[in-house]
Amino acid sequence: MSTMQVYDSSVRQIPVISQVKSIYENRGLLRLLVVRDLTVRYKRSVIGVWWSLLNPLFTTAVLYYVFNTVFKSRLPGGAPFLPYLLSGVLLITLFNQGLTMGADAIATGAGVLTKVYIRPEIFAASASISSAINFLIGLVPLTIVLGIYHRTPTWRFPIVLLVIFCMTLFTTGLSLLLAIAYINFDDSRSLINIFLMALQYMTPIFYPITLLGPHTRDVIQLNPLYSFLQIFRHEFGNVGVSTLQNWEIMIGSSLIAFVGGFYVFSKRWPKVVAKL
Amino acid sequence: MSNELIVAATDISLAYRRTRHRVSSLKQTAIDTIKRRMAYEEFFALNKVSFNIARGETVSVIGRNGAGKSTLLKVVARVLPPTQGRVIVRGHVAPMIELGAGFNPELTGAENIVLYGTLLGRTPKEMRSRIEVIADWAGLAEHMDIPIRAYSSGMTARLAFATATDVTPDLLLIDEVLSVGDADFREKSAARTLEMMNGGCAVLLVSHDLETVQRMSTRAIYLSDGQEKVSGNPTEVVEAYLADVHR
Repeated sequence: MSTMQVYDSSVRQIPVISQVKSIYENRGLLRLLVVRDLTVRYKRSVIGVWWSLLNPLFTTAVLYYVFNTVFKSRLPGGAPFLPYLLSGVLLITLFNQGLTMGADAIATGAGVLTKVYIRPEIFAASASISSAINFLIGLVPLTIVLGIYHRTPTWRFPIVLLVIFCMTLFTTGLSLLLAIAYINFDDSRSLINIFLMALQYMTPIFYPITLLGPHTRDVIQLNPLYSFLQIFRHEFGNVGVSTLQNWEIMIGSSLIAFVGGFYVFSKRWPKVVAKL
Repeated sequence: MSNELIVAATDISLAYRRTRHRVSSLKQTAIDTIKRRMAYEEFFALNKVSFNIARGETVSVIGRNGAGKSTLLKVVARVLPPTQGRVIVRGHVAPMIELGAGFNPELTGAENIVLYGTLLGRTPKEMRSRIEVIADWAGLAEHMDIPIRAYSSGMTARLAFATATDVTPDLLLIDEVLSVGDADFREKSAARTLEMMNGGCAVLLVSHDLETVQRMSTRAIYLSDGQEKVSGNPTEVVEAYLADVHR
């Protein structure tokens, strides 16, 4: 027995800082959880990696048919619609997956989390990280689609890593709040699904924002996902324009969601555990 | 040092506000809030409980359902901070939890050993070096490379037990003594539990099985409504509890 760990309940934990520190200290477990997610998804399924890309690709195909062929939507400035659309679908998938997988992992992991001392935040972080890795794989078909239109990713494409990093903070924080809601209220799931759907429609995935009137446009611009998406489109395939305001909203909202989510979680989690 | 203190709990209380009607739906909460019908009450799951556990001791907690036994385990396991009082726990804590709660059916036996062990507080590296030993002990050495969804429930339970009891911790938390698998393995697992309990760790045992409590523990605590009613000699505590139950 080298150093004996001592737990003293009277030592006050500083919210957020102690939680982040605990994730770092348990990075072995974090890595294991990420590997678990990816193994379950890729290694064991018959067509492996391609299977997980089937969902966003198929969604894109359907939306492409509906909006390009049926409604004959056109983007301003003649930008190609397909890469514009696929970027949107990939980003919204990144958001949805990170958010719901993290919350589910905590809500269903109660059997372990109420008996063993493991910070549940590790589960939220691992879900966000494995979604980020899926997203990176999704950049391959996006590059191919760009190629169809004789385009290549911009030389600025490493900036996408920054978008992914912000999204990881954003979804980790939000999924902690969602987990609390899932556990506290049995009927919260369906309500949240409706909210997520509304958020998706408020993100210009398959329509250009210029299609909207000035008032609606102002509202949509406050949706953080819009800023994430504009920056991603601009920096990866040059199929959109981003502004300084987009950067401010992306960085600001991810920091607020991360710190706020961790803080609220540190206060609410003990109350949830007491009732489980 | 056999009388080294592992757990020192002083006046620990756990209070929380709960709704009088135990509302768990958003719809009901919204309706009640609008109608101003939300009634809260302060609830003491634990009320000023104090006890110590030294290395080598087995302390049992008995009481009716809802008396605060599981809450006490959560507080000592560090999962739930007490709202008042202080608890100090020295060393590695391992709970014997519902078997397989940390398992993933899509992962192989070997992968699950590493994941489950890491969830229980050991390092992945350490767990990788223990795969063979654990698999042998569970009698599952030939089944390590297949996903455990192909296991029978008995096989899963054996793997979980073998992983959870691979090391003797400083403090062992037991919520009902487990007996798993077929008769052979049940005997083997009971022997292993006993070996751990006698192997120089401190044990906190929660059980409804009064016979086990009397046989295995060095001390017992009878909890009622979150308060410590009687504590001390296991036989006397069990008698006091039975007297209350039969009254």
